[in-house]
Amino acid sequence: MTVALSHLDLLEAESIHIFREAAAQFRRPVLLYSIGKDSTVLLHLARKAFWPQKPPFPLLHVDTTWKFRDMIAFRDRTAREHGLELIVHVNEEGLKRGINPFDYAPSVYTDIMKTQPLKQALDAHGFDAAFGGARRDEEASRAKERIFSFRSEGHRWDPRRQRPEMWWLLNGRLGPGETARIFPLSNWTEKDVWRYIAREGLEVVPLYFAAERPTVERNGQLIVCDDERMPLRTGERPVMRRVRFRTLGCWPLTAAVPSNAADIASVVAETLAARTSERQGRLIDHDQTGAMERKKQEGYF
Amino acid sequence: MTALTSIANAERVPAYARDLNGIVRLLTCGSVDDGKSTLIGRLLWDASDLYEDHRENLQRSARSAGINGHLDYSQLVDGLVAEREQGITIDVAWRYFDTAMRRFVVIDSPGHEQYTRNMASGASHADVAVMLVDARHGVKRQTRRHAAILDIVGVRRVVLAVNKMDLVAWSEERFRSIEADFAALLGRFGFTEAVAIPVCALSGDNVATRSTAMPWYSGPTLIEHLESVEPGMARAGLPFRMPVQTVLRDGRDFRGLAGTVSAGTVRIGEDVVDVLSGRQARVVRIATMNRDLERAVHGQAVVIQLDADIDVARGAVLASPQSPPTAATRLETQLVWLSDRGFDGDTGYLLRTATDLVPVAALEIQSVLDLETLGRTPASHCFANDIALARIELSRAAALDTFAANPGTGVFMLVDAVSGASVAGGALLAVQGATRAGKAETFMLTHAMLERGLCKDLGTSARDRQEFRRRANEVALLLAAAGVPVELEVDDQSSRR
Repeated sequence: MTVALSHLDLLEAESIHIFREAAAQFRRPVLLYSIGKDSTVLLHLARKAFWPQKPPFPLLHVDTTWKFRDMIAFRDRTAREHGLELIVHVNEEGLKRGINPFDYAPSVYTDIMKTQPLKQALDAHGFDAAFGGARRDEEASRAKERIFSFRSEGHRWDPRRQRPEMWWLLNGRLGPGETARIFPLSNWTEKDVWRYIAREGLEVVPLYFAAERPTVERNGQLIVCDDERMPLRTGERPVMRRVRFRTLGCWPLTAAVPSNAADIASVVAETLAARTSERQGRLIDHDQTGAMERKKQEGYF
Repeated sequence: MTALTSIANAERVPAYARDLNGIVRLLTCGSVDDGKSTLIGRLLWDASDLYEDHRENLQRSARSAGINGHLDYSQLVDGLVAEREQGITIDVAWRYFDTAMRRFVVIDSPGHEQYTRNMASGASHADVAVMLVDARHGVKRQTRRHAAILDIVGVRRVVLAVNKMDLVAWSEERFRSIEADFAALLGRFGFTEAVAIPVCALSGDNVATRSTAMPWYSGPTLIEHLESVEPGMARAGLPFRMPVQTVLRDGRDFRGLAGTVSAGTVRIGEDVVDVLSGRQARVVRIATMNRDLERAVHGQAVVIQLDADIDVARGAVLASPQSPPTAATRLETQLVWLSDRGFDGDTGYLLRTATDLVPVAALEIQSVLDLETLGRTPASHCFANDIALARIELSRAAALDTFAANPGTGVFMLVDAVSGASVAGGALLAVQGATRAGKAETFMLTHAMLERGLCKDLGTSARDRQEFRRRANEVALLLAAAGVPVELEVDDQSSRR
């Protein structure tokens, strides 16, 4: 009798395989931990890949200083509980210049507070490979990503010159000046991520669950005022709404959705029935045509 | 057929989170003119759980472009800005959709001749290929070329989607004639399953909904057929193989060999062999973080503990002792050249197998395949997009199978040692162990030589042994690149104290 594995079992095994290959082939990898649901799954798979040992790499969080407070608390607790080294990097220069998501265009803000500090941190620590939770189902340019994705000096991505990947052979040999991004969740979808969180009983940031939160509505999007830095327009007042997040980023740039899903079961049910893609709630991706492709070329994950 | 974890799931996971029954990877090949992007877009539109904002985007751009009545389904697949500008597919794109039954992965590959390498790399991941032809033009030279590439990378199931049936007045006669041409073409290849389906991607006829315009056709729609494909079963019955990725310890007495089963099944109590050291041992534990298993099957990532510490490390392949792989140094291969830089005898190359990386001592291109006539032209060089027969000599043995016998351990990538680029990907047609004859001119790089100087700082820990192998590889590579035929002493613990 033949035995078939379910699609989540296959995805899990594939991700574990990728983690082990990368750890064996690269000298100094790091896991880019961005606290959200994808990072939660990524970290869980890393723990599985190297069990009974700990994952042989630290976590890196690029902190824009505009993350939800719940995210930061969750981040610190997660690293502590798993006994993993956590490196937090902030672009101090950008902070000094007062770069913020309200007064600057999303593309400028993202470049200075996310892309630049990511490159700074990778260079400063000499990381030659960084694991990320990006998935091919997220966006058109991601759909063309490799599993081992190479960056030339300056961390630039050239979509026209990607290394071919064939069968299950992963070639991690770096050329001069190159570093790599590794995407173990390449073949997962948003639905898979939630199914897997439910199946494995993983804890996620509470912001994914519906609760009464102070919100303002701008351009048809609900923004949760996570702290006092929200500049309210004339006549604008935060209104308590029952909302949750499908995706987490910087709070001024991440739209909430009205929802009553307050536990994992209802979140999974809602995701499986969802009619819009999660990136709908990411304001930085709508900035201009080919926005993600351009950001990636400049070194964004 | 039983899904192991679905049973396990049923006990602790509610219905909403239950898994789909396997994954089918589907390659689409054909040119833009044949309506490939439209066909994929149509599949997503009709059969999948496509998101509403993606549907609205499409309807919005249809309105602004003013195409009367028809949505441009191809917009659901074309990715990069450069591709949209040129209106072609350059690189492989990955799409995912679920039907009620299973997960589909659409690997959208370019059809143009100058992108043969992209198609070959896309096809290497596929369980089934949908080849697309225009009903007005039928089976063309391109179809033959695509069939040859699919055959080489190991795709065994193909579907011919005869598109634009509306433009031949839904003619059964036309379809039957194309179907016959297709059958004749396939006789030359090793496909195990081939069907032709008449479709119209633009209107959706026989894609996900049965066509009323072609009552003469009683076969399955494209989606019906794809849902009936058995996903990734081919390797379940093959002899057991697990390429070892790394060694994991718990700091006490547990020493586990971590890897993904690339073929067959292994059970607790069975013997496995490592052909590189010639050692055999018994499986005493198959572990994962969640729980221990009684057996591990093709596709599972596990940690295997053996009853004897036989110093197996990364690069070794745990295998069934009844039909083991070969500790091979001489390889007959068929490869697709991927790099813009053609084959160069002065470049140092490395052979990447499942988990091993071996310096190439010599590489000789023998012939290049003419994809139109399927004949072979003798050649000593090859360039991007060429499919060549090549003979490779390794500077030390690697555990390998022929592609026909066991695909997971029968493939390789050729790596440029300096730039790191993957310059070619190939399948092994024949593998041979080292022969002592005719080796007089080969320089034997021994452990003793390395221990005296280069590696004298290294001890016997796993990490040091791995570093030892790495340095040995690099030295062999430099020698090979300098034109010195070199062989590495077999990595055997008895020769190292």
